[in-house]
Amino acid sequence: MTNRRDFLSQSAHGFGALALASMLQADGVAAAEANDVGSGAVLKTLHRPAKAKRIVQLFMSGAASHLDLWDYKPALEKHHGEASNFGEHVEAFQNGLGPWMKSPFKFKGYGQSGKMLSDVVAPLGEVADEMAFIHNVVGKTGVHSQATFLQATGFQNPGFPGMGAWISYGLGSMNDNLPTFVVLPDHRGYPSNGPKNWSSAFLPASTQGTTIFPQRDIPIEDLLPKSDFVTGDSDRDGLALLSRLNRGFEQQRPGDSRLDARIKTYELAAKMQLSAPEALDLSKEPDHILKMYGLETAGKTYGSEINVPEEAEYFGRKCLIARRLLERGVRYVQIWSGNDNSFPRRNWDSHEDVERDHGPLANGMAIGAAGLIKDLKQRGLLEDTIILWTTEFGRMPSTQGSKGRDHNPYVFSNWLCGGGIKPGVTHGPSDQWGYKPLDRDNPTQVYDIHATMLHLMGIDHTKLTFLSNGIDRRLTDVHGHVIEDLLA
Amino acid sequence: MSLRSLNSRSGHLLRIASFIVACIAVIYGANGSIAAEPDAFTKSVAPILQSRCVSCHNSVDRKGAFSLQKRDEVLDSGFVEPGQPDDSELLKVLVSHNGKKPAMPKSGEPLKDAEVAAIRDWIKSGAKWPDGFTIKEPVVDNADWWSFKPMKKPDVSRLSSQIANQKSPIKNPIDAFVLKTLAEQKLTPSKPADPRVLIRRLYFDLIGLSPTPEEVEAFVKESQQEPAGATQSAYERLVDRLLASQHYGERWARHWLDVVKYADTCGYDKDKLRPNAWPYRDYVIKSFNDDKPYARFIQEQLAGDVFFPGTADGILGLGFIAAGPWDWIGHAEVPESKIDGKVARHTDRDEMVSNTLNTFCSVTIQCAQCHNHKFDPFTQEHYYNLQSVFAAVDRAERTYDLDPQIEKQRLQLADQLKAARVALTTLNAAIQKEGGPELVALEKQIAELQPKASPAAKRPEFGYHSGIAPKQDVEKWVQIDLGREVDISKIVLRPCHDEFNNIGAGFGFPVRFKVSGGLSAAELSATDLSPTAPKLLHDATQKDVPNPGLVPYEVAVAKTKSRLIRITAAKLAPRQNDFILALAELQVLDAEGNNVALKSAVTSLDSIEAPDRWRKSNLTDGIWASAGDEAAIKQLAEARKQRQAILDRITTAERTAERERLNKEIATSENQLTALPSGKLVYAAATHFAPIAAFNPTNGKPRAIHLLHRGNVTQPLAPSVPGTLPIALSSDSDLSPAGHFNLKPDHTEGDRRAALAQWITRPDHPLTWRSIVNRVWQHHFGRGLVETPNDFGRMGKLPTHPELLDWLAIEFRDNGQSIKKLHKLIVTSATYQQSSAHEAANSTIDSDNRFLWRMNRRRLEAEEIRDAMLAVSGKLDPKMGGPGYYLFVLERPEHSPHYEYHKFNPDDAASHRRSIYRFIVRSQPDPYMTTLDCADSSQSTPQRNETLTSLQALSLLNNGFSLTMSKHFASKLTTESSSPPEQIARAFNRISGRSPTEAELTDLTAYAQKYGLANLCRVLFNLSEFVYVD
Repeated sequence: MTNRRDFLSQSAHGFGALALASMLQADGVAAAEANDVGSGAVLKTLHRPAKAKRIVQLFMSGAASHLDLWDYKPALEKHHGEASNFGEHVEAFQNGLGPWMKSPFKFKGYGQSGKMLSDVVAPLGEVADEMAFIHNVVGKTGVHSQATFLQATGFQNPGFPGMGAWISYGLGSMNDNLPTFVVLPDHRGYPSNGPKNWSSAFLPASTQGTTIFPQRDIPIEDLLPKSDFVTGDSDRDGLALLSRLNRGFEQQRPGDSRLDARIKTYELAAKMQLSAPEALDLSKEPDHILKMYGLETAGKTYGSEINVPEEAEYFGRKCLIARRLLERGVRYVQIWSGNDNSFPRRNWDSHEDVERDHGPLANGMAIGAAGLIKDLKQRGLLEDTIILWTTEFGRMPSTQGSKGRDHNPYVFSNWLCGGGIKPGVTHGPSDQWGYKPLDRDNPTQVYDIHATMLHLMGIDHTKLTFLSNGIDRRLTDVHGHVIEDLLA
Repeated sequence: MSLRSLNSRSGHLLRIASFIVACIAVIYGANGSIAAEPDAFTKSVAPILQSRCVSCHNSVDRKGAFSLQKRDEVLDSGFVEPGQPDDSELLKVLVSHNGKKPAMPKSGEPLKDAEVAAIRDWIKSGAKWPDGFTIKEPVVDNADWWSFKPMKKPDVSRLSSQIANQKSPIKNPIDAFVLKTLAEQKLTPSKPADPRVLIRRLYFDLIGLSPTPEEVEAFVKESQQEPAGATQSAYERLVDRLLASQHYGERWARHWLDVVKYADTCGYDKDKLRPNAWPYRDYVIKSFNDDKPYARFIQEQLAGDVFFPGTADGILGLGFIAAGPWDWIGHAEVPESKIDGKVARHTDRDEMVSNTLNTFCSVTIQCAQCHNHKFDPFTQEHYYNLQSVFAAVDRAERTYDLDPQIEKQRLQLADQLKAARVALTTLNAAIQKEGGPELVALEKQIAELQPKASPAAKRPEFGYHSGIAPKQDVEKWVQIDLGREVDISKIVLRPCHDEFNNIGAGFGFPVRFKVSGGLSAAELSATDLSPTAPKLLHDATQKDVPNPGLVPYEVAVAKTKSRLIRITAAKLAPRQNDFILALAELQVLDAEGNNVALKSAVTSLDSIEAPDRWRKSNLTDGIWASAGDEAAIKQLAEARKQRQAILDRITTAERTAERERLNKEIATSENQLTALPSGKLVYAAATHFAPIAAFNPTNGKPRAIHLLHRGNVTQPLAPSVPGTLPIALSSDSDLSPAGHFNLKPDHTEGDRRAALAQWITRPDHPLTWRSIVNRVWQHHFGRGLVETPNDFGRMGKLPTHPELLDWLAIEFRDNGQSIKKLHKLIVTSATYQQSSAHEAANSTIDSDNRFLWRMNRRRLEAEEIRDAMLAVSGKLDPKMGGPGYYLFVLERPEHSPHYEYHKFNPDDAASHRRSIYRFIVRSQPDPYMTTLDCADSSQSTPQRNETLTSLQALSLLNNGFSLTMSKHFASKLTTESSSPPEQIARAFNRISGRSPTEAELTDLTAYAQKYGLANLCRVLFNLSEFVYVD
């Protein structure tokens, strides 16, 4: 079912983006229409009225340090350099139990909430009052692969659908010319576990994340033929011939709806060939928008050392593409920052030097993320788009080597924004060191984050299930509670 | 949209809900006296607490700091005030306040009013709790379920007589069962399919390839000319021919590999390659082609090393246990002593247990790792007993297919080696004893000092690391160029620190070496005898140098001019069954004591360049692992020196000679052992293998397995014993009543796996035989007689034809367990040979065709599509077996391999083989095959999805493989005929199995004339008639 709002967003190429935004704002019934599910949805109706219909997930691969971005710890400043004492035996992943270490970055309060943010994420200060922070998220292991799986799929081992696949499965598509679930990996390489983080696993293959590499000749696998014999004309006439032959085959075999559906998939494919390049084309974006996402120096060549403008360009480009995809009816966009575990480091796994890696990565990320929040807001899309910032675990308040931090699966931070999330709040503090949750009996788990997001999307997380090998599987396994404090 | 997912859920939840009410029983305390005097508590309160409260509020978790399992716990908590419900906290949290949802239970709906009332009444009447009564977690104790009951062989002759009056053909008993059900459902069978349809169906089903137009025509002709009542029909001959084809195994092994999660990489982070996984894949293909009896196939895969020692298949089969994903980091980088290491190993065993039970028995057990199974009578005890069956095995490479003569030599050499090592140990012990208390004290001191002497700060730049040598006496050198002649006074060698193989300080420091200097490269490379021999600055080649730990090794040099300094190791440092030279820093001090070597150019015989840790330039970068406790380091060096002095003093000449003799003998035996051909390698279950960092073999000693509370490795409860599920227990002395295997106290780990295999292959096992015939049936009809092939439990579907299932299972079991015979039985039934055409009246009654009133039309699987495209294009290389070919470009395999599919050239002839031989990457599956619904190797896939997506359309149209094959197909056509209409007709026939109609031919020809044959072939690959089988 296509409603008016979706129709408008799909026709966006014909409109200026601002025109679309103003039409949407004028659309007073938009919120009421948000109850619809899309085409191909397994849910016939939503379990509850939805506050949101789209999600952007920002995933920092390698484990971003909560202590150096948003979980300000005066105690570490006070006790910097003193031997660390956790009051209990701590199992470090490597050997990161050196002295307490304050953040190499300065912290400052922002917005009405006065949220303390580190200098490297200062660009987010402007939108701090839109964001909701959770500082007591706990993981299960300090092993990157398992922890990444847990945050991406809700399970520690491979073989489970990514959150975006669950959303596609439950809510279906809001467009007929683009995928429902899009993944923008770090162009330097995949995170731990690669595409298993966004696979459909046992769900239908149509729910899998479609990876887009905007910098490649053919950004979506097989979108266009790369050959010396297929031309635009041969392609067009070939599709017409194919359609005639397949239609003949179908008509001789009544009662098999697959044969008709298959003909339609070719029609959809042809539409996607037209719409995808348009969605990825940033050339018509005005300068002030490019600047907003840190893309003013785009296309420049950068030195071999990790640096802010380069990181800002990479992350900002993905954020801007995400906005364009959301406008065109993509439901779930997953953006990754950081490739796998290699040298020189281009990920958040700062065992050796927090300042060296986190500085440029965080600053680049913050520019793009802030641009995205502001841009969605000015277009009226933030109100029904949830942004989740996450990572596989946090980092220790003690030193590894002299400037690094070891893995901390015992506590880390997430933040959420938009789409029915209460703005400007901080939920669930960590302890004075940022080592474990302050209230150890009541931490936040990924299941709670997922349950809350599904809730806002109109889904009861206990009811979106799929029977696989004898077990009724769901995104939140047998866990998860909606975090009422975070609902606007 | 998945067409399979839509039809599987109806009636399920209802059935389960009523089932739970019917058979979850409260478990009574050990004394059992409660059952005799049921009171309000046990009848109406305990069940509520059991189902809604104790999963959190139990003696172990104590969420909210209290438990509801035992009387004392409840009364001591202060949450219950006997006699005063309104003052009891327990009741307060169960009811709504100010219209808010009650605080408890935290999950699910609030308690019903009647339930709250029952708890209120109980508290009011004094909160009486019977003595010894414990509320345990819910357990299903009802085994009354079809699949757990013995198989019953139906009377076929009686059945046949019942339906004798029907006109429909009965080719074999299968038809009798199917017709009986059809009649009951008021359905009528379809007419037989056309021979042209049948041959295409049979080819794809049995060998996964399409027939050529010539094969089709020949078969059609044979079928038409067949005399009535011929003893063996053309169809049967075709079946026999296809079952005898080697291609049969290539098709059916794929179904098996889907279930067992086979892949050629490990999965998880880094996703390392498994270069020797393929022999298991080839073993499965060969087992199908050889029609191996099924029990033997099972036994080989679980315990082939025990049942069939000395055979290659006995080892190759064990690839089954190792087929699934494995976390390299969790095993190799995290030791078993750490929580993360425990989690990785627990997860690994879980994978082995679930793979075994899902595959062979079609039951799910994996959920019992955290709690008792919610629907089937399996408890956590059962689950952990199964884990202890696999307690000693890991996934690693092991040898197979060994020459018996060589094995004999290997054993002899191993014996010699062992004897020499024992002798050496004895000798060392004698020397040690002579060293007296002084030596003992020194050893103790060294052990204590070692941890303190570890580095305080460690930079990632470890140093220079030579190539790895298999032997210790290989010469290696590294040298620096100071850039000018310098008067040098001192040379300092800084040792490395690397935790690798627990070596730590002094990693790679040469055992014997020399330092030489020279003015030119030529001079340094000259032999010692040449007139321009290099200056020997320091000689440490005559005696072993004790490992210096982190203490710098200093060489004072009498005033010497030199430009180049070379360190030549004569005896390398041991690493892990191999040898290396590594140094953190080389400093050269001039007369004033300045280090003139900083940033000097470094050259070496060889080097491992793995920045940041290891690279040549690290040798002069001014970075080394500095000591944490300088004093301790000095003391340590001193203690080592003293120890060496004592050892030198007490070691007599005879002893030295004896030691040298033994060392030589050991070295010789080791060399001879390495030189023996080691057989081939397969990635399989293993107990003995070379350690990889923290990943160590058990050497056959089972790990202690405990029942884990909620599956949490930090909360082990009672120890587990090897055992299995409580089904098929009748009259069997191999099992205790609790399902424990009756194993001798000194049993080997292999005995455990053998016991499990023995249990699974029991003739009276109610699951095993039904499971396999159902799988085979499913791959012929698209749907099993039980629609959930991996789950015959209560969450699974009921059989549509229970009698047929049992009849097939018993036939199969009792007639050689031959899968080929089973195929023949199935495909020669009239049921299988029906047309797939739609029929309105039948469809109204059974639109899903659950009762088989027609054949199911199916879309080809990913492999069939790819293989058929290769075949019709004349590019299919029929070579069987061997390492998997890549469909990607492999980059950076040494660290985290990158599998770059988009960089692959699809014209690479090495990849033009059947798809079962492709190298399967677990974390990054082939996008083309994935889009066509091939199995995800991270999970058991008993049945493929069949989806239709626009990405699939794009793949078939535009993927480089499709485009390349279009060109090859076109050029093949031009070699086969010179007439364009013939070429086009032939192309269409090759794709669809029939000639085009005149209208079709006109349409195709017009297109081909305009755009060429390659464009036409591209269109043909996208025909529904190509990808569907009627």
